[in-house]
Amino acid sequence: MNENKFVLNSHHDGGEWQFNTPAMSMVPLLPNAPSLAGGLMNQITRSSYLSTPMVEVFSPGQWNHHPTSSPNMALGESNFASTSSINSIPVGKPVAISPRGMLVSTEPRIFPTSLPHFPVDSAFVERAARFSCFGSGNFSGINFFGSSPAMAPSNNEGIGDQVQKDELLQVDHESFNGSTMKNQGDQNSQIGNGESRVVIFPEDGLEGNTGSTDAALNSSSSDRGVNKRRKTVPDIERDPVQGGRQSSSETTKENIENKQKVEQINSKQTEKNGKDNSEFVKEGYVHVRARRGQATNSHSLAERVRREKISERMKYLQELVPGCSKVTGKAVMLDEIINYVQSLQRQVEFLSMKLAAVNPQLDFGIEGLLAKNLLRAHGSSSSATGFSPEMIYPQAYPSQHNLVHTGISAMASHSDTFRRAISTQSTASGYKESPLQVQPMHIPWNEELITQMAYGANPSNPQNMDSKADDFAI
Amino acid sequence: MYRRSFKDTRSSLGSPNPNFSKPMVALRFLRALSLVRRSGLGACSPSYRARGIRRAAYACMAASAGPRRAWSRALLRKIRRRPGRGLRRPRAVIWRHRPVGGGDRLEVALRRLVPGGGCMEYCRLLEEAADYVKCLAMQVRLMQTIVDSASHV
Repeated sequence: MNENKFVLNSHHDGGEWQFNTPAMSMVPLLPNAPSLAGGLMNQITRSSYLSTPMVEVFSPGQWNHHPTSSPNMALGESNFASTSSINSIPVGKPVAISPRGMLVSTEPRIFPTSLPHFPVDSAFVERAARFSCFGSGNFSGINFFGSSPAMAPSNNEGIGDQVQKDELLQVDHESFNGSTMKNQGDQNSQIGNGESRVVIFPEDGLEGNTGSTDAALNSSSSDRGVNKRRKTVPDIERDPVQGGRQSSSETTKENIENKQKVEQINSKQTEKNGKDNSEFVKEGYVHVRARRGQATNSHSLAERVRREKISERMKYLQELVPGCSKVTGKAVMLDEIINYVQSLQRQVEFLSMKLAAVNPQLDFGIEGLLAKNLLRAHGSSSSATGFSPEMIYPQAYPSQHNLVHTGISAMASHSDTFRRAISTQSTASGYKESPLQVQPMHIPWNEELITQMAYGANPSNPQNMDSKADDFAI
Repeated sequence: MYRRSFKDTRSSLGSPNPNFSKPMVALRFLRALSLVRRSGLGACSPSYRARGIRRAAYACMAASAGPRRAWSRALLRKIRRRPGRGLRRPRAVIWRHRPVGGGDRLEVALRRLVPGGGCMEYCRLLEEAADYVKCLAMQVRLMQTIVDSASHV
């Protein structure tokens, strides 16, 4: 962002903070994306156009921004996953599925076109938002239809090596078996109780199948008809491709056909190796296919999906926690995470104590600013360029933006009415512009505000505040 | 004092922002700090003030993380519940989804650390923990900056 605007001399650390934090906040994401993407690309060697969606997919922070775009993310991941699966299968059919609303297209992001096909209700949006958080393209069940009934953890590794194309996470599942099993057992028991959903899709997995029953059931019941309709199309699509194996080769888990499919899957085994036709369903149902050599039990499949989800999250956590990239093993990783969280909390305590000790010195500046800012609550909206450069600061901030920032920050931080004015203005003028204006300007604001606090007794302050107030730009 | 700071943080430009809106967090925090300061000039003892500041820090962090996060909701709830609420309304659902077991020592520890981590599944717990870690780190950096610049001048 605008790190070049930073001042340097005395507030080097502050600048450093601001400099670092945008980068550092990005750092967990961007390396996350390449690492995950790299891991993914190792297996999914096919398409080149997958690279971009993968990088976008694995930036979990974006999904928080706009709920409207969250379905996009979900669809993006679905697109990614489905395209990945498509790549493994030389099938041109999935592209035809796109009219159904499934983003199986060569284009990485074609959300606006396919969104209308989705029954985007609020529950779905919420689930999709949660779903898209963690690169859930992996969850598209890159599971192959296994041939061996035994579901042993040892099989996973063997299968993992086998299935390079679609295996996304090479994680040792054993350590997670204990924890996942119990969760799994919980979910599966719930599933077996007549719930229409058999598989754990990432959305519901995020909320918990147990938890999201109401929302999911509502949406599922409303979409049951649509599901059926949609399900038939993929089946039809796949028929020519897979011949007679269509019914048995897929473990598509949708509302009503789930149980029937489960029996089919359990009874039959495919000789397809290295292929999966996982498609992302519209409401976030994950079509999971058992991997070759693995159990085709619905439970095991669900567990595998869950394990992969968990490993995905663990990887993300690994990126976040510094110094954990070399650590292998869930237990050690968890330990590190716990230690890190504890240390952060201790740091918060310590810093708050420090702030409490330091605070009385900053009183004057704050009070002065508050008084002045409360007087003129509504800053007139003018451009920042019209700013008078005669801000008298010892640090001699060069850029005008800094002054605006200070004004903005000072006024915004100390005046409720002004905040409301900002909010109303922002909402009126469209929220997009104001943050775009405000946020890049806010980056160096921290130092100015603090210096203002420090130099509260500065006689030049009043006129500075006046000029700032007049030229305040929102 | 604390309620006021929370209300301010809520009424501000808060949207379900991710924790990338560091300026927003800083804004909120500084506002809360000023409020804390204004409340009787620090309420006598530094330790009391420190506790107030810590609470404000967590509140700002949770408020800026957005209501979409389970941990932020739980954190805000915990903060607001503290001020001497003697009688608690019997809530219909407190523990919504009790996770199975708890045999994993690490998992239990993580649940205790992350606010609101008692009700989540393991998968969700990891996700919330990641977000919580990110926000915490940002908050720590922010406070460090403030302290540094305050001590500089």
